Amino acid sequence: MTRFLVGRTSGMLGVLFVVCLFTFVVFFVLSPDPAVQVCGKNCTPERIDQIRLNLGLDRPFLEQFTTFLTGLFVGRTYGVGEGAVQCAAPCLGYSFQTSQPVTEMLMQRLPVSATLAIGAAVLWLLAGLIAGVLSAVHEGRFLDRFLAGLTLGGMSIPNYVLALVLQFVLVVVLGWLPFPQALPIGEDPVQWFLNFLMPWVVLAVGAAATYTRLTRANVIDTLQQNYVRTARAKGLRQDLVWRRHALRPALTPIATMFGMDFANLLGGALITETVFGLNGIGKLAADSITKNDQPVIMGVTLLAAFFVIVGNMVIDLLYSVIDPRVRISA
Amino acid sequence: MNGSAGPAPAGQETTPLLEATNLVKEFKVAGDGVGARRRTVRAVDDVSLTIGYGETLALVGESGSGKSTTARMLARLMDVDGGEIHFEGQEVGQLGARALRPFRSSVQVVFQDPYSSLNPRHTVEKLVTAPLVYQKRKIPGGARDFTRGLMERVGLNPDHSSRLPSQFSGGQAQRIGIARALAVDAKLVICDEAVSALDVSVQAQVINLLRRLREEEGFSYLFIAHDLAVVRQIADRVAVMSAGRIVESGPRDDVFGDPQHDYTRTLLSAVPRIDPEWEAARRRNRVLRSGAADDAAL
Amino acid sequence: MPETARSTAPNSEEGNLLEVRDLTVSFPTAEGRTEVVKSLDLDVPRGGAVGIVGESGSGKSMTSLAIMDLLPKGGQRSGSLRFDGTELSELGNAAMRRMRGDRIAMIFQDPLSSLNPYYTVGLQIEEAYRSHRRGVSRKEARKVAIEAMDRVRISDAARRVDHYPHQFSGGMRQRVMIAMALSMEPELLIADEPTTALDVTVQAQILDLMSELREETGVGLIMITHDLAVVSEVTEHIVVMREGCVMEKGTAEQIFSDPQHEYTQLLLDAVPRIDDEIGALRTLDAEGAQP
Repeated sequence: MTRFLVGRTSGMLGVLFVVCLFTFVVFFVLSPDPAVQVCGKNCTPERIDQIRLNLGLDRPFLEQFTTFLTGLFVGRTYGVGEGAVQCAAPCLGYSFQTSQPVTEMLMQRLPVSATLAIGAAVLWLLAGLIAGVLSAVHEGRFLDRFLAGLTLGGMSIPNYVLALVLQFVLVVVLGWLPFPQALPIGEDPVQWFLNFLMPWVVLAVGAAATYTRLTRANVIDTLQQNYVRTARAKGLRQDLVWRRHALRPALTPIATMFGMDFANLLGGALITETVFGLNGIGKLAADSITKNDQPVIMGVTLLAAFFVIVGNMVIDLLYSVIDPRVRISA
Repeated sequence: MNGSAGPAPAGQETTPLLEATNLVKEFKVAGDGVGARRRTVRAVDDVSLTIGYGETLALVGESGSGKSTTARMLARLMDVDGGEIHFEGQEVGQLGARALRPFRSSVQVVFQDPYSSLNPRHTVEKLVTAPLVYQKRKIPGGARDFTRGLMERVGLNPDHSSRLPSQFSGGQAQRIGIARALAVDAKLVICDEAVSALDVSVQAQVINLLRRLREEEGFSYLFIAHDLAVVRQIADRVAVMSAGRIVESGPRDDVFGDPQHDYTRTLLSAVPRIDPEWEAARRRNRVLRSGAADDAAL
Repeated sequence: MPETARSTAPNSEEGNLLEVRDLTVSFPTAEGRTEVVKSLDLDVPRGGAVGIVGESGSGKSMTSLAIMDLLPKGGQRSGSLRFDGTELSELGNAAMRRMRGDRIAMIFQDPLSSLNPYYTVGLQIEEAYRSHRRGVSRKEARKVAIEAMDRVRISDAARRVDHYPHQFSGGMRQRVMIAMALSMEPELLIADEPTTALDVTVQAQILDLMSELREETGVGLIMITHDLAVVSEVTEHIVVMREGCVMEKGTAEQIFSDPQHEYTQLLLDAVPRIDDEIGALRTLDAEGAQP
């Protein structure tokens, strides 16, 4: 177990390091001069030099990169003397646009993205599993074909189209829902729920369709397994055959996929957040890309990578609990 | 036992068709469970054997004994981790793909599942002539007639030369594999559990075919099987494998009649048998019945 | 093809544990329903053992699944299946479920895929027991599971009961299956190619075990196999099937020493022997002649 954890953690750090290096090269070396970006319109060569010095852009690449890494883990100091700024540990630098610390910006946006992700995940998991199992039970019959059609629709409709249609119908025409805003849950839970309902649905539809298909295929496949026949031959009650011998093996692979998809979403739902104007990480990414705010882009990238990598590790750990064949050796 | 499969039968003092010495194959396997250390397993451990011209050597053993791995190394479908393979006196154990070409047409493998080893989208004609086309050899008498001739020799209807493997039964598909060996004038045919999945009546047909081709074509066989009763019908010599090693080898009647190694004895005594008294009675009854038939005919 | 039947064991009709009459099993195909078992009659005497022998496509496995009412999707059966005075074909789903496992148990060819990899073997034995014996605590069921594993000679059963199927060897897994089947003390055990996937030494052990358990428990046995030698060692009665029809039935001695039907004779001639003369194996057609 310790071996496993040590192995996986070091592997995870390795991947994160490569991601850091890659993004660093892309955003700091290959992009236009950051100093010019920071300096803005009314700029003098002296000011640019000053900024270069402050950001450490005059240093060789390797030194810049190590300083960046140090900033991530122990914090770093920008500039020298009087104007020096201390940036605390996980330091991702400051936004070129607002001069806000990137870490702080990410932390402000994270709750919105997390709310979106959790709500959508609950929705698509429920919808996908229920529809998938129903399809499998009714294989080849009307309900199965009906759900297959629905699934195809769900998978093919782009979520920005769905978002615009829903908004138009539910908000503008019918007026049933408010226009989404990122409200905190504390003040008015009902309002909060209604606010997020539409983005959740939009985000969940595509995944729900995929999960329906996957669940259906897995359940049908599992029902043909010899051990399900054994369970019947033992005279188990039908519900026990289903619950214990068909569903658990069928749903285990879905847990893996779910972990990945959920981790992915935590890194921001760019389109949905943008369409609904929700200030999450996805919106932050979109904004920073249009304004070429490199530290923010990089922060978002690293955060997303972090979630995916951690998510992966959690799944691996969980999997060894769910599936006895991959038990972790003591 | 020294692990050698014994000398070739008398009359073949010259180099044997195939001689393998001290073959070794190791696999790295994951340990038990996630994160465990990888272990090295010796699947084949110091195996030596020879196959003479026109001879059938059977390699028997239970699952995991290393018999199939040995066969795959001998066919050079798998790299050799240690030891040497001499085919007609030439070392082939370490040859590269290009240098192996003549060897490839001299040695053909027939696997347990014919459908997975025959391209499902190729007709019999294409399957049988493909090795020749690949080697840019001229097809004697044209592809159609060549194929028809081969199909007749292995007992398939020549009119079916444009059919696909899926249109044949298991036993018939196995014959296509054998026809392929005939097409390239193979000297050694490696049968890796080639009759194990067949129904008994079909199995008997294929065994009889293999025997006939040995007489007619001078094929040598390396016959891999777990069914000792089948092996006894076809082998000249037998090598018994267990845990990657050859524990006993020798002429068939010696191994079956007077097994030396404990493992061989266990293996032989485990084979289910039909009561010999019933068998004797059946033979008597058969004679009686055919006699009665003759009487009736008179 | 005509059926060559001889008066077999049953002295009185009441002596039979299972009486199958006119069993037909069919599946839908593009050309309508195809019969894979055609009008089969079968008797299993109380405590007796019957072997059903046949090649692939003979319908032997479908016969066993039809008795258990476990036919694959689309499969339909007709005919009469009298088990200990009860007509199985008239039982409702719930009553048939109570019959399965409790009074008629079944084991299969591939013990690895027949056990659920997600649960310990103990749980898989316990759940069967508990679903038939209402109100039995987990603790009692566990005791039954350990006893059952003991009875099939799995050493250290008290510890092994908590292991998962993949931690057992092939032979041990089949022992687990047998333990599971016998834990309810059924009157009839149907074994569908129980040793086909096993090595020959392990096969011998499992066959011995089955014979011993039959003596200990008096369970009736239907053994389905393609292997004549195997069935000759285990059962007293034999039914030879081909393409859904019974070719011949009789006692093992009758079938093996004086086969009446041409197909039975052919089968016996085609089987290579470990202790018989070596020569050309007789085949149905002249070797190689394919239609």
